Amino acid sequence: MSLPPQLFRVATSSGVPIFRQIMDQVRALIACGDLAAGEMLPSTRELARELEVNMMTVSKAYSRLEADGVVERVRGLGMRVVEIRDTRSATERKRDFQELVAPALHRARQLGLSDDQILSVVKKALKDSSHEQ
Amino acid sequence: MNNDIIRTSGLRKHFGKNEVLRGVDLAIPRGAVVGLLGSNGAGKSTLIKCLLGLLKISAGTATLMGEDPWNLSAHTKSRIGYVPQVVHLYPWMKVRQVIEYTGAFYANWDHAWCRELLDQWDLDGAAWIRNLSTGQLQRLGLILGMGHRPDLYLLDEPAASLDPSGRRSLLRSLLEITEDREHSILFSTHITSDLERIASHVAIMGNGVIDYFGELDELKDSVKRIRVHSPVDLPPDFSVPGALRTEINGDSAIVAVAAVNDEVIDGIRDRWDASVDVEDLNLEDIFLELHDAQ
Repeated sequence: MSLPPQLFRVATSSGVPIFRQIMDQVRALIACGDLAAGEMLPSTRELARELEVNMMTVSKAYSRLEADGVVERVRGLGMRVVEIRDTRSATERKRDFQELVAPALHRARQLGLSDDQILSVVKKALKDSSHEQ
Repeated sequence: MNNDIIRTSGLRKHFGKNEVLRGVDLAIPRGAVVGLLGSNGAGKSTLIKCLLGLLKISAGTATLMGEDPWNLSAHTKSRIGYVPQVVHLYPWMKVRQVIEYTGAFYANWDHAWCRELLDQWDLDGAAWIRNLSTGQLQRLGLILGMGHRPDLYLLDEPAASLDPSGRRSLLRSLLEITEDREHSILFSTHITSDLERIASHVAIMGNGVIDYFGELDELKDSVKRIRVHSPVDLPPDFSVPGALRTEINGDSAIVAVAAVNDEVIDGIRDRWDASVDVEDLNLEDIFLELHDAQ
């Protein structure tokens, strides 16, 4: 079954290129479980018409997602969501996360928070997020 | 094999002492949808007219579908659709008559498509030309420029007098035209939001030259505004590589940068112990930053 193109929205006058917005939304739909492995993305024509954007923009987003291993091209059918497993080592995944944390830490120091205060905030955030899960 | 549908090199055009185009270099690939962006008087209309052979270029070279614009073959002319900024038509004709009249000049006129467009764009075939509003005239001008299903569309401010729903209809038609990736469009505009939907490329023009030509996505990915906050006051000569514009305010600065990458950002963080926020810019912001940088 194929995902309805109406699920997608783009802000054309945003500073984020439209193809990137589409990529982000596919990833978000997968992350929140609306899009499962094996499901098909809307065809490029269908999505371009729905969003009223250039078809090249949509196919660019799809090709990048394919290159990133998020979807696979199925001949004659379109793009199918693949099972996502991050196969990189824990060290690499940790490094990714560290890059995300660095600017937040910098800001925390500017706010005059001590290491202990920062840690307590992080612990609380961790706890909150595990409640949500 | 040269796949560029339009190519210019050092193209110049002057009217008496007034030089309007000062060396335009452009190479537009087949299938591209190019938004030509520029402030009033930048030379957009003059460039389009030079490409069409409506004006003779003063120096440099230009080719359109591989031919010299000044000596276009009839065959090439029949593959071009041009819509001027201001459409002049016979006021004593009816909409349907002027379409028939124009169609008679073309071997491959698509009457069915014209009827479809009239309908989509809410034009009455029985209306007199003299009674049309500016926006209606522009819609009619577009139909007349497109009725022969050209391969290359040159549209000078096609959306300028259209209302929002008219602009949407136009965008939709242009998107349909370009779906096969064979048709190319060059349209000048100063309405950036229209451009962002359909353009694959942008050409930013200022003062008779092309300041930027490239893919819209690449432009958005590279031009950013960064906000720097340092614990200490920044010196007056604070600078960032590739800066288009720098605004320093005590311990903080706002810098528009042409090509942002992680190296640049990390460089500033380390050098000034500063926090750096990177802001995405939309096309209008980018246009203004590039424009102010001059």
